[in-house]
Amino acid sequence: MSDYILELKDVVKTFGGVRALNGVQFQLKKGEIHALMGENGAGKSTFIKVITGVHQPDSGIMMLEGEKVTFRNTADSAKMGIAAIYQHVTSFPDLTVTENIFMGQEIKNKFGIYDWKTMKKRAKELIEPLSKEIDVDKPMGTLSVAAQQLVEIAKALSRDARILIMDEPTASLTRNECLQLYKIAKDLRDKGVSIIFITHRFEDMYELATRVTVFRDSTYVGTWDVDGITNSALVKAMVGRELTAMYPEKTAKIGEVVLEVDDISKEGYFKNVSFNVRRGEILALTGLVGAGRTEVCQNIYGIMTPDSGSIRLEGKEVHIKSPIDALKLGIGLLPENRQTQGLVNELPIYQNVSSATMKQFVKNGQLDTASEMENAINLCKKIQLKANDITAPPSSLSGGNQQKVVVAKMLSSEQKVLIMDEPTKGIDVGAKYSIYEIMNDLACKGYAIIMVSSEMPEVLGVADRIVVMKGGRVTAEFSDVKNTTQEMILEASLKEKGGEK
Amino acid sequence: MKKLLKSRNTGLILVLVLLLVVARIVTPGMFSVMSMMNMLQNNAVYALLAVGEMMVILTGGIDISIASQLAFVGITTTTLSTANPDVPGFVWVITALLLGIICGAINGFLVGYLHMVPMICTLGTMYIFRGLAFVVSEGQWWFAAHYLDSYRFWAIGKICGIPMIIIWAVVIMVLLGLFLGYTAPGRRIYAIGTSRESSAVAGVKEAKVTFYAFVICGALAGLAGMLYTANYAIGYYGMGEGFEMTAIAICVLGGVSINGGKGRMDGVAIGMLIMAVVTYFISMIPGMSVWQKALQGSIIIVAVAINYFTERSAEKQALKERGALI
Repeated sequence: MSDYILELKDVVKTFGGVRALNGVQFQLKKGEIHALMGENGAGKSTFIKVITGVHQPDSGIMMLEGEKVTFRNTADSAKMGIAAIYQHVTSFPDLTVTENIFMGQEIKNKFGIYDWKTMKKRAKELIEPLSKEIDVDKPMGTLSVAAQQLVEIAKALSRDARILIMDEPTASLTRNECLQLYKIAKDLRDKGVSIIFITHRFEDMYELATRVTVFRDSTYVGTWDVDGITNSALVKAMVGRELTAMYPEKTAKIGEVVLEVDDISKEGYFKNVSFNVRRGEILALTGLVGAGRTEVCQNIYGIMTPDSGSIRLEGKEVHIKSPIDALKLGIGLLPENRQTQGLVNELPIYQNVSSATMKQFVKNGQLDTASEMENAINLCKKIQLKANDITAPPSSLSGGNQQKVVVAKMLSSEQKVLIMDEPTKGIDVGAKYSIYEIMNDLACKGYAIIMVSSEMPEVLGVADRIVVMKGGRVTAEFSDVKNTTQEMILEASLKEKGGEK
Repeated sequence: MKKLLKSRNTGLILVLVLLLVVARIVTPGMFSVMSMMNMLQNNAVYALLAVGEMMVILTGGIDISIASQLAFVGITTTTLSTANPDVPGFVWVITALLLGIICGAINGFLVGYLHMVPMICTLGTMYIFRGLAFVVSEGQWWFAAHYLDSYRFWAIGKICGIPMIIIWAVVIMVLLGLFLGYTAPGRRIYAIGTSRESSAVAGVKEAKVTFYAFVICGALAGLAGMLYTANYAIGYYGMGEGFEMTAIAICVLGGVSINGGKGRMDGVAIGMLIMAVVTYFISMIPGMSVWQKALQGSIIIVAVAINYFTERSAEKQALKERGALI
């Protein structure tokens, strides 16, 4: 029979007038890990939703082990042994791990009453090979993102999945959590499970996949053996043009110290953190997720206030009690989650840009929309925002351009220090480059930039100096970025307690 | 033990005991088994409404039409039973349940399948059911003389000295407590209240679960309607106005999260008892009855404040534990 466990041909799916999938094809071999790559909006997510039956294709054929199938809903695909782990963990935070695993397929006795005991036992059996630290009685919400992902995997396994689809599982994982996930994926493959692995990271693909399929602009570009394709050829396939460099040349002149953080601590988050950042400098604050980086930035920005220690801006000690204080002093924050913390989707782009500085457009008690727009247009030009219509909501833009809107908003008031928390998270390769360019450009204009990032290549490619945190403490600082390697950063971010710095 | 001390229910029980002690001191003459029974009998209708409301609130919705359902169903069974005196009483219990199920199904269909906002949808049906109560009753009032003993038996008839209406409330609370804790449909109510997106992925059908939560709520509101008329031997289209708020208040007091997904039957039971003790004994203290509403309101505010502070202190504790690791 067929070589392929799953085969899709000429799949078309339209939403309204928009073609989300335009005649794409895909073949999954038995027991292989197949990477699916492409920029955001290339149609990957829609594609897997077609496979799992969340969406029904307008036309095209899906074959499972050589036989034609159609799925009306997720239950249909689950019955055929297809399970998916979605990009954003889809769990019930208030319910226990056990219940999360068995939701929708509960084990009951003959009276329809829950068999908690058997479920717990089964849950333990499923979880233990993945992690010894997860307590099946704990509410899901108390687990780390990585642990939650493992529970999702256990859930997929509990359904005897033959085909497992993972949609960007490594996006919010740290390096060693990724390594653990790789191991689990390989184990599953060796047990005969076929895996579709959607990712933005080349690392994932090289580590795991034997073949890679690329989508671009809702169409199928091609499928290659991972061994037989180069990095640049892949990028070209994904972006449709060659990217000469992943990171722009650094041109900014580094000046005097602007912001100095001296020995600040906050109970439960971090202890004795010190570092400084200079004019025109990009300082990377890196380490594992949960190392306290975001919290340090929130303390600088006044969302929280440190218990002890001091912060000096241009040599003067400042007491920042709220984000308003921070903005007045010239410290801006680009939040990690642009969707919920950075943008208001109900408002047009230009109002988003001016939302932090609304006051300056008020004349005689009335909002002067014309000058508000003008200001927004200027700022958008500055950051090369690609938008057809700035009166449209930000949701009309791609992820990269949405991020630019948040940057524009931050630049709408006079700033000296810009804190950027994971500025390229979930943004595709092409757009990443333009965000780096903007950062570079801002540095040239004399801004001091603190970038929080977990992606080591990015940290090494963009930063002038690197501060590594682990478990709420600074464990290392690298000034000579050219001679710093990923291994050195990794070592610092895994360093056991007692980093004396 | 530590868990027991931290539990919100333990706090509620302490409050309840405290209230009973105060009640015993300020109204010594009234504190008897008799008066307790009386109190429970007067509050059983609230219990039924609150338990039904709980189902809907757990899904993340709300039903403000239950008091209108109570009036509509109560009036209808009253009208039918007085017109057909030969029909045995249990028929009217079943009629009430069926009518309630229909009301709940309408709400459930509109919210679950047509995706209407629960508050607005049930605001609409609140007027509709109240209006239907007026249509059915033609504005007429029914009094004790109209009601048949076979009809009233289902509320005031006694088994082992306990009025039927109390037995109804207790049995239903126990059954639905088990339903919520130990059956798949019950747990799925929590699931969709916690996360709709995750439910969809897990294959839990949001529309269906919402639908049956409203149906259960309706069935109980209908039953409460019949029992209300049977208990007080009074029926008019405006009866029960504002009861939906009492039901919601009991849920909140009992620890049901208005955002859905959180709340237990034992909490609601204790919340119901606290509300009952306050209203009943307050009304017995001379000169205090005018304060009843204000006091009820204050209790709700205090309950919500306690929720907030226990959550905050739990958070702080977690931070401290984490801090020790740094």
